[in-house]
Amino acid sequence: MADERLVPTVCPYCALGCGLYIKINEGGPMIEYMLDHPTNEGSLCAKGNASLEIINHPDRLRHPLKKTETGWLRISWDEALATVAGKIAETLRDHGPDALGFLGSAKSTNEENYLFQKMARTLGSKNVDCCARRCHSPTIPALKRAFGASCMTNPIADLANSDCIFVIGSNFAENHPIVARWALRAKDRGAKIVVADPRITPTAWLADLHLRIKLGTDVALLNGMMNVIIDEGLWDRKFVADRTVGFEALADKVAGYTPDKVSGIIGATPEAIVRAARIYAGSDSSAIVYSMGITQHSHGTNNVAACADLALLTGQLGRSGAGLYPLRGQNNVQGACDMGVLADFYPGSVSVHDPIAVQLIEEAWGTGPLPIGMGMTAEMMPVAAASGNLRFLYIIGEDLVNSDSSSSRGRRELESLDFMVVQDIFMTDTAEMADLVLPAAAWAEKEGTFTSSERRVQWSPKALDPPGEVRSDLSTILDLARLLGLDFDYAGPEEVLAEIGRVVPSYAGISMGRAGERGGVIWPCPFPEHPGTPILHQEGFSAPGGRARIVPVDYLPPAEEATLDYPLLLTTGREALHHNAGSMTRRSFSLMKRAPELFVEVNPRDADRWGIVDGDLVEVKTRRGEAWARARVTTRQEVGVIFMPFHFPETNMLTSDVIDPEARIPEFKVAACRIGRMKGLI
Amino acid sequence: MDLYVDIDRCIYCHACEIACERVHGESRISVEAVRDRACVPVLCHHCDPAPCAAVCSAGALTQGESSVIFEAEECTRCGLCTIACPFGAVYLGDADGLQKCDLCPEMEVPACVLTCPAEALVWGDGVERAGVLRRRAAGRVAQYYAESSGRDRISMSQGGAGYE
Repeated sequence: MADERLVPTVCPYCALGCGLYIKINEGGPMIEYMLDHPTNEGSLCAKGNASLEIINHPDRLRHPLKKTETGWLRISWDEALATVAGKIAETLRDHGPDALGFLGSAKSTNEENYLFQKMARTLGSKNVDCCARRCHSPTIPALKRAFGASCMTNPIADLANSDCIFVIGSNFAENHPIVARWALRAKDRGAKIVVADPRITPTAWLADLHLRIKLGTDVALLNGMMNVIIDEGLWDRKFVADRTVGFEALADKVAGYTPDKVSGIIGATPEAIVRAARIYAGSDSSAIVYSMGITQHSHGTNNVAACADLALLTGQLGRSGAGLYPLRGQNNVQGACDMGVLADFYPGSVSVHDPIAVQLIEEAWGTGPLPIGMGMTAEMMPVAAASGNLRFLYIIGEDLVNSDSSSSRGRRELESLDFMVVQDIFMTDTAEMADLVLPAAAWAEKEGTFTSSERRVQWSPKALDPPGEVRSDLSTILDLARLLGLDFDYAGPEEVLAEIGRVVPSYAGISMGRAGERGGVIWPCPFPEHPGTPILHQEGFSAPGGRARIVPVDYLPPAEEATLDYPLLLTTGREALHHNAGSMTRRSFSLMKRAPELFVEVNPRDADRWGIVDGDLVEVKTRRGEAWARARVTTRQEVGVIFMPFHFPETNMLTSDVIDPEARIPEFKVAACRIGRMKGLI
Repeated sequence: MDLYVDIDRCIYCHACEIACERVHGESRISVEAVRDRACVPVLCHHCDPAPCAAVCSAGALTQGESSVIFEAEECTRCGLCTIACPFGAVYLGDADGLQKCDLCPEMEVPACVLTCPAEALVWGDGVERAGVLRRRAAGRVAQYYAESSGRDRISMSQGGAGYE
C-alpha cells in the first residue's frame, strides 16, 4: 500500500518505556513489534498489545462539556477555556493563589507537565502534585537523602548482568512483565533470585528463595539481613569507608535485629534470613528490585531507606549488575517528577524550601517571585476542599476518586469545591464530578517526550489524529495560559523541551533529535554531545561531599492490625491484565474479557472459617466502607490476609488513609477487615 | 520451523493471548494456571500424525510438512477435530469457525513468540531450539555444580560484558 507507514511510539501503560510501532494503513492502526528497542526487544505485555483498543473507543471524550442541571452540555473550546480562565481569575481575586489546586498527569508528556506546573506556580499556587504521591513518593525523599538522586540506578536490561536479584514488594511478572525477560536471562547465567513477598505471586515462582514475610515487615527483614552481613563480615569495607557516611549508627541499629528475633516478626525462618543475606551480599553484583509493596506503607520512606542501606552496606551500587530498581507505575511518572509536578519539588528536584535554587528558576522563567514552601499534596487537596481552603481544582489525566485511599471520603470532600475542571481521554468517575470536562488527546495523538522508569527520555511522534475536537494537553494549557495573560509563547513541544533543558540540568543535552533516536537518551545528559548515563553513582554520589548517607531505620508495625471486629488484613495490588485505576484497561475489550470483575483472594482456611466457597460473591468491610467482590480461594494467599486488586473502584473505598509522615503516601497495603458471604451476616 | 514452550519461564502474563487475538481476531493460545503454582501456555502442538487431521472427513485439516494446515473453506464445522485434539487446542470459535494455531504463516516469527516477555515461547527448527535450551541450561548447571561441589559460586560479572 502506498500510504502505509510505521510510526515509532512508546507504550502508554507502565513505566518501562517499551518501544513499539503503530502501523498506519487503510485498514486502521495496527501494532508492529520494535525488535531493536533496548528495553523490550519488541516484546510487549498483554496491556501493550491491547494499547490501541482505547484509541478509537466509543467512550472517548470528543468535545468540551459543561455540567448543567439537565446533564452534560457540549460547549465550544472558546467558551470552555474562557470559563476556566474566569474561574481561576475569580478564585485568585477572592481567595488568593493557595485556593487553587493543580494535579498534573503521569500520563502526559514532559512538555505538558512542565508547562502545567509552570502555569500553576506563575499564578502563585504552591498546590501542584500528581499521582506519584500514591506510588513512589517515599522513594523521592529517601533516595535523595541516601544517594542525592531519587531514581532507578541502572537500566532494566542490566538486570541480565546481576548475579543476585533481590525482589522485595514487587510482582514484576504480572505488573512489569518485561523485567522478567532480563531477570530470566540472569537466571540462565546462574544468578539467584530471592523474593520477599507475603503472596505467592508469579514472580515468586521464579525465585530460588521465597521469603513469605508478613505484611509491612520489610524493615525488620532488611535490618535482619544487614545484621547477618555485618556479623559474618560480608559487608564491603572499602565501599563503606570510601563512599558513605553513617555506618556506625547502622551497625548499632541493626545489632538488635538478630535472625531469631526478626524471624518472630516477619514469619520466615532464621535460616532463610541468613541465606538471603549471604546470597545478596556474597554475589559479585546484586540488584534490589522494589515497588509498591515497599512504598505504600505508613512507614514507606523507612522501607526505601532500608533498601538503600542494604545496597550501600554491601557496595552493590554504581556497577553493571549492581543497583537499586524502584519500578515505577505510569509511562511518564518519572518525567512528571523530573518536571516538578510535585508539591515538594520544582523542576530538576529543586526543593520548594530552597529559596536560592528557586530564584534561579525565577530568573530562567523571567517571572516575579515564585512561591516557596510545601504545597498541598494530592491527598491533602480533597481535605482542603472540605475545609474551604481549596476552591478550584484542575485535574489532568487522573481518576482521583478511584485512586485515593478511603475513596468515599475523598468523593464527599471534592463536592465542596467551587469549581473543578477535569481534562481526560474518558469520562472517568472523577470527571463525572467536575463542573467542566475538557477532552484530551491520547499518547499516540500528540508528540513530546516521555521519561521511563530507567530515566530513558524518548520522543514519541504523533501517529494518529485525535477524534472530534480533541486537543493535546499542551495546546489546551498554552491557550489557557495566554487567556490568563501569561507569557507562554511556544511554537510546540520542541521549544518547550529546549526550555526544560535550560532549567533541568540533567536534561540539558536532550533535544527532540536525540530523544527521537531509537531508545532515546538516559539522563543525566548534561550537554548535547553527552552519551547519557545508564548507570548512576559510578564515581561519586550527588549527595553532599560526594558520599552516600546510610540512614538507619527501625521497624514499625503497620498502622492497623487485626482485631476482634476486623479479624483479617486486606492488602491490595495489581493483576496482569489491568492498569492502575482501570479507566483505560476496563475499557479494553480483550482485557476485560479475561478479567471482567473485582476479585478477592482468600486462603482456604479463612474461606472455611467464614463460610466462603470459590466463586462466591463476598462482602469485604473495613472501618471506611464495604465492597463486593468475587472470591478466589487460593493458597497464593496466606492465612489471615486477603488480597484485592485496585483496578476496580470498590477496592479503594476500603483502604486505609493513614499516611507516611514524610512522603504522605497512604497505607494502601494494610487495612483491617472482615469478610462474609452475604450482606447482613457480616 | 516449530514452536516450543519452555514451561519454567512462563509468568502467567497473558501477553501471547492478547497478541494472538490482535492478529487473528480470536486467541488460539491460552495460558492456564496449575494450582496457582505454575502455568502452561496451551496451543496446537502440530502433532504428526495429528488426531485432528485424522478425523477430518472434509479435508479441512491436513498434515503439512511441519504443521497441521487448516483450510477454512473446506470446514463443515462438524466439530470432530475438537473432540480428537488431546490438548483442547482446536475449537469452534464464536465468529470465524474453527480456531487453531497456524504459526502465523504471513510472519517470519509468530506474534506470540515475538511478544512473549519471558521468552518462554521459542521459535526455530529442532537444532536451533535445542541450542537455545542448552545455553539456558548450561549456566544453571554450572552454578549448581559449583555450589554442590563446595566451591565458591562461579563469578559471572568478572570479565563478562557489562552494560555499555
